[in-house]
Amino acid sequence: MSDTFEHLSSAKDAQKMIRYAHEEHIETVWDRLAAQEPQCGYCALGLSCRNCAMGPCRVDPFGDGPQRGVCGADADVIVARNLARSIAAGASAHSDHGRDILETLYQTATGETSAYKITDVDKLKRLAAEFGVEAEGKEPAELAREVAWEMMEEFGMRKEELTFAARAPKPRRELWEKLGIMPRGIDRENVEVLHRTHMGVDNDYVNILLHAVRTSLSDGWGGSMVATEVSDVLFGTPAPINSKANLGVLKADHVNIALHGHNPMLSDVMVRAAQDPALQDLARSKGAAGINLVGLCCTGNELQMRIGLPMAGNHLIQELVIMTGALEAMLVDYQCIMPSVVDVAKCFHTEIISTFDKARFTGATHIPFDPKRGIEIGQQIVRRAIENFPNRGPRVVIPDEPVDMMAGFSVEAIVGALGGTPKPLVDAIAAGHIRGAVGVVGCNNPKIKHDYGHTTLTRRLIENDILVVVTGCAAVADGKAGLMTPAAAEMAGPGLKAVCQALGIPPVLHMGSCVDNTRILVLAAALADYLGVDISALPLAGAAPEWYSEKAVSIGTYVVASGIYTVLGVQPAIFGSPNVVNLLAGGLNDVVGAAFAVEPDPEKAAVLIRRHIEGKRKGLGLPFVEPDTIVMPE
Amino acid sequence: MKTVFVNPERCVGCMQCQVACAVEHSQSKNLYQAVFEVPKPRPRIYVAPGLYLNTSFPNKCRHCDPAPCMEVCPTGAITRNADLDIVVIDGNKCITCAMCAMVCPFDVIRYYESATVKLDKTVAVKCDHCIDRQRQGKVPACVEVCKVNALVFGDPNEIAKSAAGRLAKLVSVATGAIHPELPRLPATFEAWRKWGEESGKVNER
Repeated sequence: MSDTFEHLSSAKDAQKMIRYAHEEHIETVWDRLAAQEPQCGYCALGLSCRNCAMGPCRVDPFGDGPQRGVCGADADVIVARNLARSIAAGASAHSDHGRDILETLYQTATGETSAYKITDVDKLKRLAAEFGVEAEGKEPAELAREVAWEMMEEFGMRKEELTFAARAPKPRRELWEKLGIMPRGIDRENVEVLHRTHMGVDNDYVNILLHAVRTSLSDGWGGSMVATEVSDVLFGTPAPINSKANLGVLKADHVNIALHGHNPMLSDVMVRAAQDPALQDLARSKGAAGINLVGLCCTGNELQMRIGLPMAGNHLIQELVIMTGALEAMLVDYQCIMPSVVDVAKCFHTEIISTFDKARFTGATHIPFDPKRGIEIGQQIVRRAIENFPNRGPRVVIPDEPVDMMAGFSVEAIVGALGGTPKPLVDAIAAGHIRGAVGVVGCNNPKIKHDYGHTTLTRRLIENDILVVVTGCAAVADGKAGLMTPAAAEMAGPGLKAVCQALGIPPVLHMGSCVDNTRILVLAAALADYLGVDISALPLAGAAPEWYSEKAVSIGTYVVASGIYTVLGVQPAIFGSPNVVNLLAGGLNDVVGAAFAVEPDPEKAAVLIRRHIEGKRKGLGLPFVEPDTIVMPE
Repeated sequence: MKTVFVNPERCVGCMQCQVACAVEHSQSKNLYQAVFEVPKPRPRIYVAPGLYLNTSFPNKCRHCDPAPCMEVCPTGAITRNADLDIVVIDGNKCITCAMCAMVCPFDVIRYYESATVKLDKTVAVKCDHCIDRQRQGKVPACVEVCKVNALVFGDPNEIAKSAAGRLAKLVSVATGAIHPELPRLPATFEAWRKWGEESGKVNER
């Protein structure tokens, strides 16, 4: 193994901490991946099925062994069932997050919570109009209660079409209707996946996959969109804000608390609790200079977008941040929190505090969150962290200086920066100064060198005058790489550089957490509507260079089903069925006007995307470069 | 002499050795590309179920000495690699007469098209003990992929020695006399296997 650990991460802070872990014999995600390798080929190909007790079954991909499960399902059906369940798990995670936020909006409106208020009343009114609630003459609380009540039915079965689906361009909605994949109810679609993939229900792989697509749409234009919109109402719609990123945001002389997970409800309260003068005094009395909150993963993104909270890192940093020895508490909510954080914390003084009853960690301290007592709970947790400060060990390793980055590019903020209309962006694209726009999104995965996929792809795209919007772990990676300041326009091609400099924006725009991929959908729909075309006609693409999570499978699927070509850096578990592969990587073009590609090399992914964008420019009659003349690197 | 030693009591029947074997003997040596190759890469190890459910045995060439297949091969296609003590088949000399398969005590010689054979026909194919990997200092692919140590690579005397030691400890545990905490097969695993035996017996009624 190399001494520098450059093969595991392209981020300097991570390299140093992985080396430290290695020297101290602290097990990390990379060690566990090595112990798992080689991983099961049947599972990797999607060919194993354990949906029933006649099984488990697997299909031999080389043709000699069994070609059907005990029930008779062939490779196509098994792969389709597994993919559908994966999408349902991802869509359910996002949608349950949305439901939790929505419940809090309702409780806030009825005066039951102690910590929240209706922050963005304008957005609430716009939502009221969409949900058919009369806003005239109503106080924000009353309006919020009525909107929340109506929005709850998105999760139910009385609707034939999700309300937010109306945000999609008309030709896209008509296509969904025609295909029978218009999302109806969020919970309904997810439950129906589980029903259809039960043995002996849906035994046609195309039909299973069509419903899986509908389920993903119930996430993108449903559950995730509820999460984004209601979070904006409660916590404020993001606007451009300066922040910092990497492990250097930890302060050696402060009480450091990391906020990790996806749901910003408690973390928002934590920020206020940490400002409490009595707690600040308590921190000083323990010898600390103050209280320093830092973000991790998408809870971090939610707070960075709204208040510029410093970002410690993304998914693969969660174990390393504890090893700094400078972390008094890691507050976790849910999703993407490795069970291993509890084990790493045992080597240090860090207290892992779980906060949701649905997401408990053996060995962690559990302080159940209740929005009705939000501020008290926030103060209780901050106090625990302060009281843990004197337990800190002698060795504190903060591996780097933080890097500046800008966050806060909601659709409202982007349109605002453009002067209130998408016209300047559309004009720049039409003239060819900007060739197109790409969402680089998704997780980290130890199978791909940490952050390398995100940052390399992003660099190649902006160099070629393609505007990049980012969410999730990709946003953290690009921020740490210095790609997300207005000065980073220097790294962009001449056309994009000029536009960024004129507007004072970075060439890579932070659009939020992973549920906030819905902001990208809304932006794409606005551009399509402005031009009077479907989303699939636009020079857009999506990429998830380092994805790992079932949520990413759902996101990728709703992005493709919304008409946007998407390149994945990691193989999904579908390669056991050539029919499913051919459908997702090609046949879907004729169905939804977009398809997937898989390319682990970000240099090559950049070329695939540039070719696609030039092809779309050609289709729109805009100036274009012949796609095939863009050279694919060896 | 090193061999692939099988601990059948540990085999969980996942058949990953088959997949890893086929990939190792593919042209690309990459799972995702191998499944699309022509001719299709084939495994040279075969996991077959045991008497009852939840038991299985990975069967492969034992590289016998003397090797009956080698003795009967009329074209000299089967030879023994002296350095590594591996019985190998040169597909380009094979006339597909099936004599080797007839005399094989383990029934592990099969006939497939092979990417390494120039003629467009099937030839005798069997385990080559991953001779290429061994030359690179690696263990055979089936052993590397086996996560439960049902397949281990080494000198059979050494392996038998450690296995005998394990057996003695297990006996001690069984009598409860010495260290009841000494490791056995995990209880859930034993229960899983026990279910196989019991359900099999029920079905025999």
